[in-house]
Amino acid sequence: MIDVKDLKKSFGDLNVLNGINEHIYKGEKVVIIGPSGSGKSTFLRCLNLMEKPTSGSICVEGEYITDRKANVNLIRRKMGMVFQHFNLFPHLTIKKNITLAPVKLGLMTKEEADAEAMRLLERVGLADKADAYPPQLSGGQKQRIAIVRALAMKPDVMLFDEPTSALDPEMVGEVLDLMKQLADDGMTMVVVTHEMGFAREVASRVMFMSDGQIVEQGPPDEFFANPKNPRLKDFLSKVL
Amino acid sequence: MDFFLGIWDAIDKALIRENRYEFYLSGIGNTLLISLFAVILGFLIGAFVAVVKQLCAGRRGIGWIAKICDLYVFVIRGTPVLVQLLLINAVLFNYRGANAIVAAVMCFGINSGAYVAEIVRAGIESIDKGQTEAGRSLGLGAGQTMWLIVLPQAIKNILPALGNEFIVLVKETSIAGYIAVTDITKAAQYVGSKTYDLITPLLIAAAFYLILVFILTKLQKLLERRLGKSDRR
Repeated sequence: MIDVKDLKKSFGDLNVLNGINEHIYKGEKVVIIGPSGSGKSTFLRCLNLMEKPTSGSICVEGEYITDRKANVNLIRRKMGMVFQHFNLFPHLTIKKNITLAPVKLGLMTKEEADAEAMRLLERVGLADKADAYPPQLSGGQKQRIAIVRALAMKPDVMLFDEPTSALDPEMVGEVLDLMKQLADDGMTMVVVTHEMGFAREVASRVMFMSDGQIVEQGPPDEFFANPKNPRLKDFLSKVL
Repeated sequence: MDFFLGIWDAIDKALIRENRYEFYLSGIGNTLLISLFAVILGFLIGAFVAVVKQLCAGRRGIGWIAKICDLYVFVIRGTPVLVQLLLINAVLFNYRGANAIVAAVMCFGINSGAYVAEIVRAGIESIDKGQTEAGRSLGLGAGQTMWLIVLPQAIKNILPALGNEFIVLVKETSIAGYIAVTDITKAAQYVGSKTYDLITPLLIAAAFYLILVFILTKLQKLLERRLGKSDRR
Protein backbone atom coordinates (compact mmCIF):
# COMPACT_ATOMS: atom_id res chain seq x y z
CA MET A 1 0.00 0.00 0.00
CA ILE A 2 2.76 2.41 0.95
CA ASP A 3 6.13 1.69 -0.56
CA VAL A 4 9.12 3.71 0.59
CA LYS A 5 12.41 3.51 -1.28
CA ASP A 6 15.69 4.96 -0.13
CA LEU A 7 13.97 7.89 1.60
CA LYS A 8 16.33 10.62 2.74
CA LYS A 9 15.59 13.89 4.42
CA SER A 10 17.94 16.53 5.66
CA PHE A 11 17.37 19.92 7.22
CA GLY A 12 20.36 21.93 6.12
CA ASP A 13 23.41 19.95 7.19
CA LEU A 14 21.45 17.74 9.52
CA ASN A 15 20.58 14.34 8.05
CA VAL A 16 17.38 13.24 9.71
CA LEU A 17 16.52 10.26 7.55
CA ASN A 18 19.35 8.19 6.12
CA GLY A 19 17.82 6.01 3.45
CA ILE A 20 14.68 4.21 4.56
CA ASN A 21 13.28 1.26 2.61
CA GLU A 22 9.98 -0.01 3.87
CA HIS A 23 6.65 -1.38 2.79
CA ILE A 24 3.42 -0.93 4.69
CA TYR A 25 0.64 -3.32 3.73
CA LYS A 26 -3.08 -2.73 3.78
CA GLY A 27 -4.62 -3.33 7.20
CA GLU A 28 -1.29 -3.23 9.00
CA LYS A 29 -0.88 -1.37 12.26
CA VAL A 30 2.69 -0.18 12.29
CA VAL A 31 3.99 1.40 15.48
CA ILE A 32 7.22 3.38 15.31
CA ILE A 33 9.22 3.93 18.46
CA GLY A 34 12.61 5.41 19.13
CA PRO A 35 14.43 8.13 21.06
CA SER A 36 13.83 11.82 20.36
CA GLY A 37 15.60 13.03 17.27
CA SER A 38 15.70 9.59 15.74
CA GLY A 39 13.62 10.77 12.80
CA LYS A 40 10.38 8.90 13.51
CA SER A 41 8.12 11.95 13.26
CA THR A 42 9.94 13.13 10.16
CA PHE A 43 9.48 9.72 8.58
CA LEU A 44 5.76 9.80 9.32
CA ARG A 45 5.41 13.37 8.05
CA CYS A 46 7.17 12.42 4.82
CA LEU A 47 4.49 9.82 4.12
CA ASN A 48 1.89 12.51 3.36
CA LEU A 49 4.46 15.06 2.26
CA MET A 50 4.09 17.33 5.27
CA GLU A 51 7.86 17.24 4.94
CA LYS A 52 9.30 17.17 1.45
CA PRO A 53 11.80 14.31 1.15
CA THR A 54 15.28 15.31 0.04
CA SER A 55 15.56 12.19 -2.09
CA GLY A 56 14.01 8.79 -2.53
CA SER A 57 10.51 7.80 -3.52
CA ILE A 58 7.22 7.09 -1.80
CA CYS A 59 4.49 5.21 -3.60
CA VAL A 60 0.97 5.16 -2.17
CA GLU A 61 -1.47 2.73 -3.75
CA GLY A 62 0.49 2.63 -6.97
CA GLU A 63 0.97 6.38 -7.21
CA TYR A 64 4.36 7.98 -6.81
CA ILE A 65 3.59 10.89 -4.52
CA THR A 66 7.18 12.10 -4.59
CA ASP A 67 6.76 12.62 -8.31
CA ARG A 68 6.79 16.30 -9.21
CA LYS A 69 3.52 16.09 -11.08
CA ALA A 70 1.70 14.23 -8.31
CA ASN A 71 -1.35 16.02 -6.92
CA VAL A 72 -0.46 16.31 -3.25
CA ASN A 73 -3.92 17.44 -2.19
CA LEU A 74 -5.64 14.43 -3.74
CA ILE A 75 -3.17 12.08 -2.07
CA ARG A 76 -3.63 13.67 1.34
CA ARG A 77 -7.39 13.14 1.18
CA LYS A 78 -6.73 9.43 1.45
CA MET A 79 -4.28 9.80 4.32
CA GLY A 80 -5.68 11.08 7.58
CA MET A 81 -3.26 12.65 10.02
CA VAL A 82 -3.51 13.19 13.75
CA PHE A 83 -1.09 15.61 15.39
CA GLN A 84 0.50 15.79 18.80
CA HIS A 85 -1.10 19.18 19.46
CA PHE A 86 -4.52 18.29 17.97
CA ASN A 87 -4.57 21.38 15.72
CA LEU A 88 -8.33 21.75 15.82
CA PHE A 89 -9.57 24.95 14.21
CA PRO A 90 -10.41 27.12 17.24
CA HIS A 91 -12.65 29.53 15.33
CA LEU A 92 -15.03 26.81 14.16
CA THR A 93 -17.51 24.66 16.07
CA ILE A 94 -16.70 20.98 16.53
CA LYS A 95 -19.17 20.03 13.84
CA LYS A 96 -17.74 22.60 11.44
CA ASN A 97 -14.22 21.33 12.19
CA ILE A 98 -15.30 17.90 11.00
CA THR A 99 -17.38 18.92 7.99
CA LEU A 100 -15.15 21.72 6.65
CA ALA A 101 -12.88 19.67 4.41
CA PRO A 102 -15.43 17.18 3.00
CA VAL A 103 -17.84 20.01 2.13
CA LYS A 104 -15.28 22.48 0.75
CA LEU A 105 -13.67 19.78 -1.35
CA GLY A 106 -17.06 18.85 -2.77
CA LEU A 107 -16.97 15.28 -1.49
CA MET A 108 -20.23 15.59 0.42
CA THR A 109 -23.13 18.00 0.57
CA LYS A 110 -23.49 19.96 3.78
CA GLU A 111 -26.37 17.70 4.87
CA GLU A 112 -24.44 14.50 4.20
CA ALA A 113 -21.38 15.84 6.01
CA ASP A 114 -23.47 16.96 9.00
CA ALA A 115 -25.08 13.54 9.23
CA GLU A 116 -21.70 11.82 8.94
CA ALA A 117 -20.20 14.14 11.56
CA MET A 118 -23.02 13.39 13.99
CA ARG A 119 -22.66 9.66 13.35
CA LEU A 120 -18.94 9.82 14.11
CA LEU A 121 -19.46 12.07 17.14
CA GLU A 122 -22.10 9.64 18.41
CA ARG A 123 -19.57 6.86 18.06
CA VAL A 124 -16.92 8.61 20.17
CA GLY A 125 -19.52 9.77 22.66
CA LEU A 126 -19.11 13.49 22.00
CA ALA A 127 -22.36 14.23 20.16
CA ASP A 128 -23.30 16.78 22.83
CA LYS A 129 -20.22 18.83 21.91
CA ALA A 130 -21.21 19.32 18.27
CA ASP A 131 -21.88 23.03 18.69
CA ALA A 132 -19.12 23.75 21.18
CA TYR A 133 -15.82 25.37 20.24
CA PRO A 134 -12.46 23.59 20.64
CA PRO A 135 -11.20 25.77 23.53
CA GLN A 136 -14.12 24.46 25.60
CA LEU A 137 -12.91 20.85 25.35
CA SER A 138 -10.41 18.83 27.37
CA GLY A 139 -7.25 17.55 25.73
CA GLY A 140 -8.55 14.03 25.38
CA GLN A 141 -11.77 15.26 23.83
CA LYS A 142 -9.85 17.47 21.42
CA GLN A 143 -7.71 14.59 20.24
CA ARG A 144 -10.76 12.35 19.75
CA ILE A 145 -12.34 15.13 17.68
CA ALA A 146 -9.11 15.44 15.69
CA ILE A 147 -9.30 11.73 14.92
CA VAL A 148 -12.94 12.06 13.93
CA ARG A 149 -12.08 15.01 11.71
CA ALA A 150 -9.53 12.90 9.85
CA LEU A 151 -11.97 9.99 9.63
CA ALA A 152 -14.65 12.18 8.05
CA MET A 153 -12.51 12.23 4.90
CA LYS A 154 -12.85 8.42 4.78
CA PRO A 155 -9.10 7.89 4.53
CA ASP A 156 -7.44 4.60 3.57
CA VAL A 157 -4.65 5.05 6.07
CA MET A 158 -4.30 7.01 9.29
CA LEU A 159 -1.02 8.56 10.41
CA PHE A 160 -0.64 9.37 14.12
CA ASP A 161 2.16 11.66 15.21
CA GLU A 162 2.57 11.14 18.96
CA PRO A 163 -1.16 11.50 19.53
CA THR A 164 -1.02 11.16 23.31
CA SER A 165 2.20 13.00 24.11
CA ALA A 166 0.53 16.33 24.87
CA LEU A 167 -2.23 14.84 27.01
CA ASP A 168 -2.68 14.72 30.75
CA PRO A 169 -2.09 11.15 31.90
CA GLU A 170 -5.72 10.50 32.79
CA MET A 171 -6.80 11.36 29.25
CA VAL A 172 -4.39 9.10 27.42
CA GLY A 173 -6.68 6.08 27.86
CA GLU A 174 -9.70 7.51 26.03
CA VAL A 175 -7.61 8.37 22.98
CA LEU A 176 -5.84 5.00 22.91
CA ASP A 177 -9.20 3.24 23.26
CA LEU A 178 -10.50 5.04 20.19
CA MET A 179 -7.35 4.13 18.29
CA LYS A 180 -7.80 0.50 19.31
CA GLN A 181 -11.36 0.56 17.99
CA LEU A 182 -10.07 1.93 14.71
CA ALA A 183 -7.47 -0.80 14.55
CA ASP A 184 -10.14 -3.43 15.20
CA ASP A 185 -12.17 -2.00 12.32
CA GLY A 186 -9.28 -2.85 10.03
CA MET A 187 -7.92 0.66 9.42
CA THR A 188 -4.36 0.80 8.16
CA MET A 189 -2.44 2.75 10.76
CA VAL A 190 1.04 4.14 11.19
CA VAL A 191 1.60 5.38 14.72
CA VAL A 192 4.55 7.21 16.20
CA THR A 193 4.22 6.90 19.94
CA HIS A 194 5.88 6.40 23.29
CA GLU A 195 3.02 4.20 24.53
CA MET A 196 4.68 0.80 24.73
CA GLY A 197 1.49 -0.79 26.05
CA PHE A 198 -0.35 0.29 22.93
CA ALA A 199 2.46 -1.00 20.72
CA ARG A 200 2.37 -4.37 22.43
CA GLU A 201 -1.39 -4.69 22.30
CA VAL A 202 -2.38 -3.22 18.95
CA ALA A 203 0.64 -3.24 16.63
CA SER A 204 1.00 -5.85 13.95
CA ARG A 205 4.56 -4.67 13.55
CA VAL A 206 6.80 -2.51 15.69
CA MET A 207 9.70 -0.53 14.26
CA PHE A 208 12.59 0.94 16.18
CA MET A 209 14.22 3.97 14.66
CA SER A 210 17.58 5.39 15.59
CA ASP A 211 19.72 7.96 13.80
CA GLY A 212 17.42 8.18 10.83
CA GLN A 213 17.24 4.47 10.16
CA ILE A 214 14.96 1.60 11.02
CA VAL A 215 17.38 -0.56 12.95
CA GLU A 216 15.03 -3.30 14.09
CA GLN A 217 11.44 -4.36 13.53
CA GLY A 218 9.13 -7.30 14.08
CA PRO A 219 5.86 -8.47 15.59
CA PRO A 220 5.45 -7.01 19.09
CA ASP A 221 5.85 -10.25 21.08
CA GLU A 222 9.18 -11.07 19.48
CA PHE A 223 10.23 -7.42 19.35
CA PHE A 224 9.78 -6.72 23.06
CA ALA A 225 10.80 -10.16 24.36
CA ASN A 226 13.95 -10.62 22.30
CA PRO A 227 15.43 -7.34 21.19
CA LYS A 228 18.65 -7.93 19.31
CA ASN A 229 20.03 -4.51 18.49
CA PRO A 230 22.02 -3.09 21.41
CA ARG A 231 20.53 0.36 20.95
CA LEU A 232 17.03 -1.09 21.09
CA LYS A 233 17.93 -3.06 24.23
CA ASP A 234 19.23 0.12 25.78
CA PHE A 235 16.11 2.06 24.76
CA LEU A 236 13.71 -0.58 26.04
CA SER A 237 15.54 -0.87 29.34
CA LYS A 238 14.94 2.84 29.83
CA VAL A 239 11.29 3.04 28.84
CA LEU A 240 9.87 -0.25 30.10
CA MET B 1 -21.63 86.86 30.37
CA ASP B 2 -19.74 88.74 27.74
CA PHE B 3 -17.46 85.75 27.44
CA PHE B 4 -20.31 83.37 26.59
CA LEU B 5 -21.85 85.86 24.21
CA GLY B 6 -18.47 86.07 22.51
CA ILE B 7 -18.37 82.31 22.08
CA TRP B 8 -21.92 82.24 20.77
CA ASP B 9 -21.11 84.98 18.32
CA ALA B 10 -18.05 83.10 17.08
CA ILE B 11 -20.06 79.91 16.59
CA ASP B 12 -22.86 81.81 14.95
CA LYS B 13 -20.42 83.44 12.58
CA ALA B 14 -18.54 80.23 11.81
CA LEU B 15 -21.50 77.91 11.46
CA ILE B 16 -24.86 79.52 10.95
CA ARG B 17 -24.63 82.93 9.32
CA GLU B 18 -24.99 82.88 5.54
CA ASN B 19 -25.77 79.16 5.79
CA ARG B 20 -22.10 78.37 6.33
CA TYR B 21 -22.93 74.94 7.80
CA GLU B 22 -23.45 73.87 4.20
CA PHE B 23 -19.71 74.10 3.64
CA TYR B 24 -19.10 71.79 6.56
CA LEU B 25 -21.75 69.36 5.39
CA SER B 26 -20.23 69.01 1.95
CA GLY B 27 -16.79 68.77 3.56
CA ILE B 28 -18.03 66.03 5.90
CA GLY B 29 -19.52 64.26 2.91
CA ASN B 30 -16.20 64.28 1.08
CA THR B 31 -14.21 63.22 4.13
CA LEU B 32 -16.58 60.31 4.75
CA LEU B 33 -16.56 59.34 1.09
CA ILE B 34 -12.77 59.34 0.84
CA SER B 35 -12.32 57.59 4.19
CA LEU B 36 -14.84 54.86 3.46
CA PHE B 37 -13.52 53.92 0.05
CA ALA B 38 -9.88 54.33 1.09
CA VAL B 39 -10.42 51.99 4.07
CA ILE B 40 -12.05 49.39 1.82
CA LEU B 41 -9.37 49.74 -0.86
CA GLY B 42 -6.59 49.73 1.74
CA PHE B 43 -7.91 46.59 3.39
CA LEU B 44 -8.35 44.75 0.10
CA ILE B 45 -4.88 45.72 -1.14
CA GLY B 46 -3.27 44.97 2.23
CA ALA B 47 -4.89 41.57 2.67
CA PHE B 48 -4.17 40.63 -0.92
CA VAL B 49 -0.52 41.67 -0.73
CA ALA B 50 0.02 39.88 2.59
CA VAL B 51 -1.59 36.64 1.42
CA VAL B 52 0.14 36.63 -1.95
CA LYS B 53 3.45 37.31 -0.25
CA GLN B 54 2.88 34.50 2.23
CA LEU B 55 1.93 31.99 -0.45
CA CYS B 56 4.66 32.96 -2.92
CA ALA B 57 7.65 33.61 -0.68
CA GLY B 58 10.50 31.16 -1.16
CA ARG B 59 8.68 29.11 -3.80
CA ARG B 60 10.48 28.28 -6.98
CA GLY B 61 9.25 30.23 -10.00
CA ILE B 62 6.90 32.58 -8.17
CA GLY B 63 9.24 33.92 -5.51
CA TRP B 64 9.63 37.17 -7.44
CA ILE B 65 5.98 38.02 -6.80
CA ALA B 66 6.78 38.22 -3.09
CA LYS B 67 9.69 40.52 -3.94
CA ILE B 68 7.33 42.89 -5.75
CA CYS B 69 5.08 42.95 -2.68
CA ASP B 70 8.10 43.82 -0.55
CA LEU B 71 9.02 46.62 -2.93
CA TYR B 72 5.51 48.07 -2.74
CA VAL B 73 5.57 48.12 1.05
CA PHE B 74 9.09 49.58 1.04
CA VAL B 75 8.28 52.43 -1.33
CA ILE B 76 4.94 53.37 0.22
CA ARG B 77 6.19 53.27 3.79
CA GLY B 78 9.36 55.09 2.84
CA THR B 79 7.74 58.16 1.26
CA PRO B 80 5.47 60.81 2.80
CA VAL B 81 1.79 60.42 2.13
CA LEU B 82 1.55 64.04 1.03
CA VAL B 83 4.11 63.46 -1.71
CA GLN B 84 2.22 60.36 -2.79
CA LEU B 85 -1.01 62.34 -2.87
CA LEU B 86 0.42 65.12 -5.01
CA LEU B 87 2.10 62.59 -7.27
CA ILE B 88 -0.96 60.45 -7.85
CA ASN B 89 -3.05 63.53 -8.43
CA ALA B 90 -0.54 64.87 -10.92
CA VAL B 91 -0.41 61.58 -12.80
CA LEU B 92 -4.18 61.15 -12.90
CA PHE B 93 -4.74 64.78 -13.78
CA ASN B 94 -2.19 64.72 -16.58
CA TYR B 95 -3.53 61.64 -18.25
CA ARG B 96 -7.22 61.66 -17.61
CA GLY B 97 -8.22 64.86 -15.93
CA ALA B 98 -9.89 62.64 -13.32
CA ASN B 99 -11.49 64.28 -10.34
CA ALA B 100 -9.52 64.90 -7.20
CA ILE B 101 -11.68 62.70 -4.98
CA VAL B 102 -10.77 59.65 -7.06
CA ALA B 103 -7.11 60.58 -6.73
CA ALA B 104 -7.50 60.98 -2.96
CA VAL B 105 -9.25 57.61 -2.58
CA MET B 106 -6.56 55.90 -4.63
CA CYS B 107 -3.73 57.57 -2.77
CA PHE B 108 -5.03 56.86 0.72
CA GLY B 109 -6.10 53.34 -0.28
CA ILE B 110 -2.72 52.47 -1.75
CA ASN B 111 -0.95 54.11 1.17
CA SER B 112 -3.00 52.33 3.81
CA GLY B 113 -2.63 49.05 1.90
CA ALA B 114 1.10 48.94 2.65
CA TYR B 115 0.51 49.30 6.38
CA VAL B 116 -2.41 46.87 6.38
CA ALA B 117 -0.25 44.37 4.49
CA GLU B 118 2.30 44.40 7.30
CA ILE B 119 -0.43 44.10 9.93
CA VAL B 120 -2.04 41.17 8.14
CA ARG B 121 1.34 39.51 7.65
CA ALA B 122 1.96 39.73 11.38
CA GLY B 123 -1.51 38.26 11.92
CA ILE B 124 -0.85 35.35 9.59
CA GLU B 125 2.47 34.65 11.27
CA SER B 126 0.82 34.72 14.69
CA ILE B 127 -1.22 31.63 13.76
CA ASP B 128 0.38 28.33 14.75
CA LYS B 129 1.90 26.40 11.84
CA GLY B 130 -0.09 23.40 13.01
CA GLN B 131 -3.26 25.06 11.75
CA THR B 132 -1.89 25.17 8.21
CA GLU B 133 -0.61 21.61 8.54
CA ALA B 134 -3.98 20.37 9.76
CA GLY B 135 -5.74 22.05 6.86
CA ARG B 136 -3.31 20.71 4.31
CA SER B 137 -3.38 17.22 5.83
CA LEU B 138 -7.12 17.12 5.12
CA GLY B 139 -6.43 17.73 1.45
CA LEU B 140 -7.31 21.43 1.38
CA GLY B 141 -5.12 23.50 -0.95
CA ALA B 142 -2.77 26.21 0.24
CA GLY B 143 -5.20 28.96 -0.79
CA GLN B 144 -8.21 27.25 0.77
CA THR B 145 -6.32 26.66 4.00
CA MET B 146 -5.30 30.32 4.08
CA TRP B 147 -8.81 31.56 3.36
CA LEU B 148 -10.82 29.18 5.54
CA ILE B 149 -8.50 28.52 8.45
CA VAL B 150 -5.60 30.95 8.83
CA LEU B 151 -7.10 34.30 7.76
CA PRO B 152 -10.23 34.20 9.93
CA GLN B 153 -8.07 33.60 12.99
CA ALA B 154 -5.46 36.13 11.88
CA ILE B 155 -8.04 38.88 11.32
CA LYS B 156 -9.39 38.33 14.82
CA ASN B 157 -5.92 38.76 16.30
CA ILE B 158 -5.12 41.92 14.36
CA LEU B 159 -8.43 43.71 14.82
CA PRO B 160 -7.00 46.24 17.32
CA ALA B 161 -4.10 47.06 15.00
CA LEU B 162 -6.41 47.31 12.00
CA GLY B 163 -8.75 49.62 13.89
CA ASN B 164 -5.78 51.78 14.74
CA GLU B 165 -4.68 51.92 11.12
CA PHE B 166 -8.15 52.94 9.94
CA ILE B 167 -8.36 55.68 12.55
CA VAL B 168 -5.01 57.03 11.38
CA LEU B 169 -6.24 56.84 7.80
CA VAL B 170 -9.42 58.81 8.51
CA LYS B 171 -7.39 61.59 10.07
CA GLU B 172 -4.82 61.47 7.28
CA THR B 173 -7.50 62.37 4.76
CA SER B 174 -7.33 65.89 6.21
CA ILE B 175 -4.50 66.61 3.78
CA ALA B 176 -6.80 66.04 0.81
CA GLY B 177 -7.20 69.83 0.68
CA TYR B 178 -3.78 69.97 -0.95
CA ILE B 179 -5.25 68.64 -4.18
CA ALA B 180 -8.27 70.91 -4.02
CA VAL B 181 -10.70 68.45 -2.47
CA THR B 182 -13.07 70.26 -0.14
CA ASP B 183 -12.96 67.94 2.83
CA ILE B 184 -13.97 69.03 6.31
CA THR B 185 -10.56 70.57 7.06
CA LYS B 186 -10.56 72.53 3.82
CA ALA B 187 -14.15 73.65 4.44
CA ALA B 188 -13.15 74.93 7.87
CA GLN B 189 -10.24 76.87 6.39
CA TYR B 190 -12.53 78.34 3.78
CA VAL B 191 -15.05 79.54 6.33
CA GLY B 192 -12.22 80.92 8.44
CA SER B 193 -10.89 82.94 5.57
CA LYS B 194 -14.31 84.54 5.12
CA THR B 195 -14.92 85.40 8.77
CA TYR B 196 -11.35 86.26 9.72
CA ASP B 197 -11.66 83.71 12.56
CA LEU B 198 -9.84 80.47 11.79
CA ILE B 199 -9.94 79.03 15.30
CA THR B 200 -13.65 78.35 15.62
CA PRO B 201 -14.08 76.54 12.29
CA LEU B 202 -10.99 74.43 12.93
CA LEU B 203 -12.33 73.48 16.37
CA ILE B 204 -15.58 72.47 14.72
CA ALA B 205 -13.62 70.33 12.23
CA ALA B 206 -11.61 68.79 15.06
CA ALA B 207 -14.81 67.95 16.93
CA PHE B 208 -16.10 66.22 13.83
CA TYR B 209 -12.98 64.03 13.54
CA LEU B 210 -13.32 63.22 17.22
CA ILE B 211 -16.90 62.04 16.76
CA LEU B 212 -15.96 60.01 13.70
CA VAL B 213 -13.10 58.27 15.48
CA PHE B 214 -15.35 57.65 18.48
CA ILE B 215 -17.85 55.87 16.24
CA LEU B 216 -15.07 53.85 14.61
CA THR B 217 -13.74 52.79 18.01
CA LYS B 218 -17.21 51.64 19.03
CA LEU B 219 -17.57 49.66 15.81
CA GLN B 220 -14.21 48.04 16.38
CA LYS B 221 -15.13 47.00 19.92
CA LEU B 222 -18.40 45.56 18.63
CA LEU B 223 -16.62 43.54 15.97
CA GLU B 224 -14.03 42.30 18.45
CA ARG B 225 -16.78 41.04 20.69
CA ARG B 226 -18.56 39.31 17.81
CA LEU B 227 -15.41 37.56 16.61
CA GLY B 228 -14.36 36.66 20.13
CA LYS B 229 -17.36 34.33 20.42
CA SER B 230 -15.29 31.15 20.14
CA ASP B 231 -12.99 32.28 22.95
CA ARG B 232 -15.69 31.98 25.56
CA ARG B 233 -15.08 28.94 27.63
